[in-house]
Amino acid sequence: MTTSALETTGIASRRPMLPRSLVGLLLLGPALAFLMTFLVLPSLILLGYSVLTQSQAGDISLPLTFGSYERLVTSAAYRRVAMTTLRVAFFTSVVALLLAYPLAMVIAYGRPLASRITMMLVVAPLVVSVIVRTYGWQLVLGNNNTGVLNWLLSALGAGPASVRLLYTEWAIVIASVHVFLPLMVLPLAASLARINSSLNEAARMLGAPAWRAFLRITLPLSIPGLIAGLTIVFSLTAASYVTPQMVGGNRGLMLGVLLEQQINTSFDWPMAAALAAVLVAIALIANVGVGWLAERHFRGR
Amino acid sequence: MAKGGTATDLALSGLTKVFGTATVVDRVTLRIAAGEMVALLGPSGCGKTTTLRMIAGLVEPTKGEVLIGGYRITRVPSHRRNIGMLFQNYALFPHMSVAANVAFGLQMRGMAKALIQPKVASALALVQLGDYAERLPSALSGGQQQRVALARAIVIEPSLLLLDEPLGALDRNLRESMQVEIRQIQQRLGITAVMVTHDQEEALTMADRVVIMRDGRLEQVGTPAEIYSRPTSRFVASFIGASNFLRGSVAGRNGDQLQVQLASGGQVLVPSADGGRSEILISVRPEAVGLRRIGETPSASESGTPATVQQIVYRGQTTHVHMRLDDGEPFVAFLPNRQGEQAKTFSAGEKVWASWSSQSNWPVADS
Repeated sequence: MTTSALETTGIASRRPMLPRSLVGLLLLGPALAFLMTFLVLPSLILLGYSVLTQSQAGDISLPLTFGSYERLVTSAAYRRVAMTTLRVAFFTSVVALLLAYPLAMVIAYGRPLASRITMMLVVAPLVVSVIVRTYGWQLVLGNNNTGVLNWLLSALGAGPASVRLLYTEWAIVIASVHVFLPLMVLPLAASLARINSSLNEAARMLGAPAWRAFLRITLPLSIPGLIAGLTIVFSLTAASYVTPQMVGGNRGLMLGVLLEQQINTSFDWPMAAALAAVLVAIALIANVGVGWLAERHFRGR
Repeated sequence: MAKGGTATDLALSGLTKVFGTATVVDRVTLRIAAGEMVALLGPSGCGKTTTLRMIAGLVEPTKGEVLIGGYRITRVPSHRRNIGMLFQNYALFPHMSVAANVAFGLQMRGMAKALIQPKVASALALVQLGDYAERLPSALSGGQQQRVALARAIVIEPSLLLLDEPLGALDRNLRESMQVEIRQIQQRLGITAVMVTHDQEEALTMADRVVIMRDGRLEQVGTPAEIYSRPTSRFVASFIGASNFLRGSVAGRNGDQLQVQLASGGQVLVPSADGGRSEILISVRPEAVGLRRIGETPSASESGTPATVQQIVYRGQTTHVHMRLDDGEPFVAFLPNRQGEQAKTFSAGEKVWASWSSQSNWPVADS
């Protein structure tokens, strides 16, 4: 660099003590080390376990084998659990999306007061523990007349114990929607709020009734938030443990619960590791897949 | 829906909008002839944008009616009004190509694809963007984006074109060329147009008539020349261009002119039909004012007043001489720099005689 006015005053002549890249690395260091030690390394070990053999004594060692994966794929029972997991995650995402969209629109476009109140209502459940909330659903969905829903329905004349939801997939879907709704609403609302309001007005002026303006303008422009919400809710539901454990029962057995059983009941660590790997794969595929679908739809317009 | 190409007139009748306790637009009544371009001009908060949005149907009037071609459309929703609109931020659909943006209004009208394509192509050709059909709006400059918005607004053959500060986001040079381009297209197609602007120059350049709004009401309506040379009030005179204001008392009458004794000294003749007033406020445009040294004899047809030079600002085309009158009021002259730097011959603190043709005196209401 040539001499500048700054340099003659001595301000620019002070060289930084460390190059910028090194400063960045130092700042990143602690978090990076933490993630390496407690996420990447254990994940790799887990992945390793899934292809090792467990002896009768419980030691895990060589030889390498894909036996666990083979059982996962060939066993009808395991396949059923995997399908349940995907189904529950899918329906939870769809139901959450349908419920979240209007809420997100109120938050993004409503009058300030309505927007703030809706936001608080959506976020409030996050401060209550998942376990407490799921106990609540057990009480609400109970299959005999002590269940709040059945008690209510019988009081309305629907007969005793008219719905059987607890310990089914639908109980998991209902409780999961409750748990994950905020995670769908928040990215959607952020995405909607970024859309310039005059775009909708322009569409109206060009002859679009409100619903067509929504379908052609608002909906496609909210796709980034939609993708974020869908992938978060799908992945978290597929990997969830507490909710299916408490309200799913045997008919709503999901991979997360199965995984826990492998570790605590069957002591089959390689199988548990294989299940964990499958869960990670589902989350990854969901992320990539939804993004790809939305992108294609977006481009097609 | 209006037939394409037929110009339609617009009428506003007692249009009023109340937000809470604030009356934003107050009984606006205005007729706009078919094919005419009218500019709503005023400071921010004067109600011009709300008026435009009520015409568009984006804001519901509290009272009053909007009539297009004689039909009451006050309760007709926006999407059935057949009005083209330009927004300050262009409002192009970012996820659609230029061609898809222009085609949107025709699709909403259920037009067949085969008919849409040539219409889109000719609309884009009209704004000289035929080669940009497949681009996304984000790949265009601000001026190009507003031209796409113009093509999108006129391709639906609207009965009315609304322009909401359409050039506000463009830089000065581009603004001027866009003003001319939009005006030419509007005239060629004979579309009735209403524009909102806070830029007086834009209003004078583009509009057949200018509507000055103030506090939700119409302050003055007239051609650009009428508004500039015969402002009705102090507000209009100072909002459009610059103006000097002189106080005086009526000393007598001379035909259809009043003899006025200025508070700052000097006597002037003012055209006025109204002879009943005793106090009067006169507007004099700074470019009408010339300066003489004290002692040089003024001609009989001239008005004038003594003043003290305070500051001289060289502005290229003109030199602005800021003065103070003997009654303490400010006074400014814009002297053309035809003979070089003539104003340099005056200096701050010097007593001068400011003079102008008596035809430049114009009485205004003091409000």
